[in-house]
Amino acid sequence: MYVWIWRHLPGPTAVRVVESLVLFLLVVALLFFVIFPWLEPYLPFDRAGV
Amino acid sequence: MSDTQTAEVPPIHQRTGGDTVRTVVRGVGQLLMTLGIVVLLFVVYEVYVTDIFGHQKQAEATTEVDQVWASSEVGSTSTVVVDDPDQLVTDPRQRTPNYQPLLGEGFAKLYIPAFGADYVFTVVEGTDPDDLYIGPGHYANTQLPGQEGNFAIAGHRVSKGSPFNDLGLLASCDAVVVETQDDWFVYRVMPMEEEVANWGSTPRAHCDSVGVQSGIFDGVYGREITVPADYDQVLPVPHSASTEVPAGAQRLITLTTCHPQFSDLERMIIHGVLVKSYSKSAGFLPPELGES
Repeated sequence: MYVWIWRHLPGPTAVRVVESLVLFLLVVALLFFVIFPWLEPYLPFDRAGV
Repeated sequence: MSDTQTAEVPPIHQRTGGDTVRTVVRGVGQLLMTLGIVVLLFVVYEVYVTDIFGHQKQAEATTEVDQVWASSEVGSTSTVVVDDPDQLVTDPRQRTPNYQPLLGEGFAKLYIPAFGADYVFTVVEGTDPDDLYIGPGHYANTQLPGQEGNFAIAGHRVSKGSPFNDLGLLASCDAVVVETQDDWFVYRVMPMEEEVANWGSTPRAHCDSVGVQSGIFDGVYGREITVPADYDQVLPVPHSASTEVPAGAQRLITLTTCHPQFSDLERMIIHGVLVKSYSKSAGFLPPELGES
């Protein structure tokens, strides 16, 4: 998967490194702002009420 | 897997069996590493990122409640500053709440001097996940600060501002101070279960008005660890399933949070009892806030 992405990134190696970093940060942002907030209520970590 | 099917398709690339195995193994390995990183990121999210969001929401709620309180100060034209605690002591029986808590909005502030002079959280109405993200939330069916019965609040232990992370450090007789629109209410943590036996014979600071519980309140302690379904803990008489406030009931505060830390298999409950109340006055802070 990562090899496939690397092959399809345009530009020389240095540019590809920057591009992959941007891709990684995009995925992290998607997780932090969309997926984790949605997932959290279903997980048994922080329910505080009785 | 059907060998005949692949044999009929003319091969585009010359791939050996070893290539396929390598690709599959590499794919599984990358998938597992990715999942591991996602799990680690979730820990970062839960412990740090939600704290940032929670602090922002808490700051907004505090600003709002400050504005509401500022706009309700009708008698503040007096130039005489009363800051003598004895003159401001009130009888809680004479005080009726002059406000209406709205779900998700702040209506009180919670101070625990034992956690430091900067420990203050705006308490919102309601205990839904959205409410508790803002700060400690008041169980909507329980009483308001200072009233007979139980002023019960839930709060997160880890994540979302972590207001109740240190409840395990509270000792008996520590002050839990609640500020409302017009009043200060000073509660103190009840005796712990292990202290009950020699409560009377051990001198303790700040414990003048705090005693071992008896009668219908027998068995209510300063800290209890219980199961998540133990809703009776927040009722007027903890451990008794009635929502009725009996005649002569005490004025209690109850704090609930998850237990143990980083889990929510159990709940930690803190019970306190009202020992004093003051009416608010410009420039006056209850002396109990200075305890540490």
